[in-house]
Amino acid sequence: MSLGQGAGPAGNEGGAGEVSRKGFIRVENVVKRFGRTLALRGVSLSIEEGELFAILGPSGCGKTTLLRVIAGFEVPDEGRVYIEGRDVTEVPPDKRGTVMVFQNWALWPHMTVYENIAFGLRLRKLPEEEIRERVRWVLELLGLRGLENRYPGQLSGGQQQRVALARALAVKPRVLLLDEPLSNLDAKLRLKLRGELKKLQRQLGITMVYVTHDQEEAMSLADRMAVMRDGIVEQVGAPMELYRSPATLFTAVFLGRTSLVLGRVVGTTRDARVRVRVGDTEFEAVNHGLGVGDDAAVVVKADGARLEPKGAPEGYTVIEGRVSVAMYLGSFIELRLAPRGAKTEIMLDLPPDSSPPPPGEEARVYVPVENIHAYPVEERIVREAMEQA
Amino acid sequence: MSTVKRRFSPLHVDAEILVFLYLPLLVLILGFVVPILSVVIHATAWGVINNPTYFDISKEAFAEPVLVQTSEIGGHSVIQVKIRGFDFGVIGNSLFIATSVTLASAVLGAAVALLTGFYLFPGRRVFRVLAFVPLLIAPFVNSYVVTRILMYKGTDYNVLSFLLSKMFTEPFLGRSIYIGFTGQAGVIIAQILMFYPIVYINALAALGVVDATLIEQALNLGARGWTLLRRIVLPLIIPGILAGSTLVFILSLEDLAAPVTFKFYKVISYFIYSKFQAARASSYLPIIATLSTIMLAAALIPMFLVRRYLSLRYYAKLTRGAPRAFRGVRLGRRGLLAAYLLVLPMVLLAAAPQFGVVALAFSRGWEHVFPSLLPREALLYNFKSLIEVDGIRRSILNSLYYLGSSIVFIALLGFMAGYAISRARLPGAGLLDLLSSAPLAVPGLVVAFSYLVFFTVHPVNHLLSLAAAASAAAMMHVLILAYILRKLPFTVRAVFTSVIQTPEELEEAARSLGARRMRVISRIVLPLTWRGVVAGLLLSAIYVLSEVSVSVTLGALNGDVYSPTHIGPITFAILQLIEMPRVSTVRLPGGRLLAVSSEAQAAALATMLMLIEVAVIMVSTRLARRGQALVTV
Repeated sequence: MSLGQGAGPAGNEGGAGEVSRKGFIRVENVVKRFGRTLALRGVSLSIEEGELFAILGPSGCGKTTLLRVIAGFEVPDEGRVYIEGRDVTEVPPDKRGTVMVFQNWALWPHMTVYENIAFGLRLRKLPEEEIRERVRWVLELLGLRGLENRYPGQLSGGQQQRVALARALAVKPRVLLLDEPLSNLDAKLRLKLRGELKKLQRQLGITMVYVTHDQEEAMSLADRMAVMRDGIVEQVGAPMELYRSPATLFTAVFLGRTSLVLGRVVGTTRDARVRVRVGDTEFEAVNHGLGVGDDAAVVVKADGARLEPKGAPEGYTVIEGRVSVAMYLGSFIELRLAPRGAKTEIMLDLPPDSSPPPPGEEARVYVPVENIHAYPVEERIVREAMEQA
Repeated sequence: MSTVKRRFSPLHVDAEILVFLYLPLLVLILGFVVPILSVVIHATAWGVINNPTYFDISKEAFAEPVLVQTSEIGGHSVIQVKIRGFDFGVIGNSLFIATSVTLASAVLGAAVALLTGFYLFPGRRVFRVLAFVPLLIAPFVNSYVVTRILMYKGTDYNVLSFLLSKMFTEPFLGRSIYIGFTGQAGVIIAQILMFYPIVYINALAALGVVDATLIEQALNLGARGWTLLRRIVLPLIIPGILAGSTLVFILSLEDLAAPVTFKFYKVISYFIYSKFQAARASSYLPIIATLSTIMLAAALIPMFLVRRYLSLRYYAKLTRGAPRAFRGVRLGRRGLLAAYLLVLPMVLLAAAPQFGVVALAFSRGWEHVFPSLLPREALLYNFKSLIEVDGIRRSILNSLYYLGSSIVFIALLGFMAGYAISRARLPGAGLLDLLSSAPLAVPGLVVAFSYLVFFTVHPVNHLLSLAAAASAAAMMHVLILAYILRKLPFTVRAVFTSVIQTPEELEEAARSLGARRMRVISRIVLPLTWRGVVAGLLLSAIYVLSEVSVSVTLGALNGDVYSPTHIGPITFAILQLIEMPRVSTVRLPGGRLLAVSSEAQAAALATMLMLIEVAVIMVSTRLARRGQALVTV
């Protein structure tokens, strides 16, 4: 189980302050202000050796600031940072043993590929022969052979990204920090490099901290990940754990294709579940601290819905409503239906071979209860989710 | 919970950055702020404001600004038109002249910039080149030539009267016209011609970075002509016009050349200059300190107001460039007519002094309508005399010495300050930003006087007492310090612009790989910014060479231009050759003797200076890959 913990409203393994003494990289109660803006509000994290740890969140949530705090480019106003048990909070970036790959790759335009990669090795005063060997090794590793005499301006985006990675890997860092390194690439290349990165990490056993706003990228790459919002860590855990058991309303809304509807708890069932009424319809949901009579923000994940239950109907709940849209999207059919008496629609993905009723007609859809989560209402998150719906 | 509070990143508090930030700051405070404050504390003669010699808005001040009369001269009927302006006293004149010159320069500079930067028409390139010509600094000689073209002579033609008489009044009216400027009006017209290009070049730079889509969108929505200019283009270039105008105001306040050549001495700048030596004897100290403080306030207030609006950092934004510059719209027939009939004569008139300076450099003098060219066998006499006349040669050597000494410090301090302003997030970075550009806003005469007071008069500085400072060597060091601090801003801002344009991630990537700050600077920052740094340094160099205020005051403390041991630089020599003209004789190969006036030697010196300026501007523009937006004297 994870050693990491969120210091946010629902830190999944203890509250702020109770930080594990273990962890290859530890961030303890870090606060960072930029003028009046509070970029990090007491963040705590613990990252294991050899782990690929993703920090995921929307723009402006503080994820890059957190990465820069770990790298030493920003010093926290409060809190501490440990790497391999050593307090590095005030250690300059060049003495931390961490190497960073920047979003824009930061390749030095006046140096060739070879010179860019050899730069860090020369600083380490390696013999020229070893530098040549190391550069050759890393060029080979990243499929860059033959490009060593080119300048960054003569490379494609994908090649530049690889050079940035090669430059960082050449010094064999204990920790590699990556700030959205694939975000400037087109979708196809991004997918290809994502796979290569994962393979490299396994092969070299480097601890990687990977910042991204792309949840698919984070989930596909990470061993564990942290979801951030407004300078706090909402939840830390394995991708599947976060996806299946989102501890907070924000994590639930943020991960996956989701709909949010407002309802009221009308009863409890076994297994800590509740029955919620949304409009004139009632269905079951996983309970997150609600009691009968409470207002509920209900998050429904789109996947797993069917017109007929798969196998026994246990584990499913039925959502009824009028169909407004049914779109065939290749791998699934997107169905939007408004529960009777409710103002908001729920989006559900049906298998591609389903035959949903046409728009305007009523539908009964079976949805796995584990895909429906009910939380206390948080006005801001509800408002933002409704605006984006 | 650990709650150790820190405000600064270790990235920004290594030893190197501390030195880069605080050393220039210390130098600027001790070498610039403190001396100026030492003048301000001596400003006690505030009664001058009530003295009509200094401030006068009575009826007499407005008497006869223009005199028109018809006379018979040598049997010819002549219309005499003497435009002399007003006389508001020393302080009043300075403020009135500076305001008039600034307003006129803003209108003229913006108009020429819009015409040549926004419209496409035949001859546009010629207009652009001509408009740049007055930017070449030919201190004093330029103004002297303006007097030959425009100054009222009473009983003889100036160039303007000659052209008007021969082309219009004599053929059509049968009379000559002797029209010209004198007094306050002469100073105003000379300064407009000298300084309007500063607004022009700033407005043009602002126009050059306006995103084409902003204008295309307006055109697309149907905006044309005056509406397009007034509603879209002008508001976009207002920052450039304001920045240029502020500089013109300051330059006009401190200008000595126009008052000296038009012999209109009732202005603050000339008062400080003429009483400079006497100030050491302390009887004039309070009044000069008061006038200096008034000049300082008059320069700083508009500067701060404009800075609030746009900040000097505006230039950094300027040079970042727009995604695509607008290529221009075609000028209509009426516009073309206005360009050639109204703007071209103005642009030609403003460029004429520079051409006149070059012509004078090959002449014996300029007594009558046009300069009298030297005979072919002695055509280069004036240039030869620069080396042959001891005092003039001394001034060239002095200039080179000052340049060589100051440029090393300008390079070091300028790089440190420019880098620290763009990268250090420490207390004092904002102050350094302000102080490193402040020398542009402080009139040179105030700086010169403050150094005189600080190093020779002020009791706190007894160590550097009058006797010590009066020695030539000590005063030369004071001059070098003045050059360093006055011309530092050009390098600081060039470095700042270059560094800020280089993504900080490039430095962070190197630090992340283990490089210390100095290594990052030598391997990453300098290779990427050297062009901008050298361009800024070259500009600083050219402004050291052409510096006037400090050179003609502090530089005059060890004898005049004919003394072989004087400590004055080139500009000092030029002023003295103009202000105290002498005639020397040349023996031609045939034995014939020829009288040559010292103004012509001054013109040769100025021509040499302009040639260096052309070379430096070309090299620095090429290096920085952009025009230099800010020009000052």
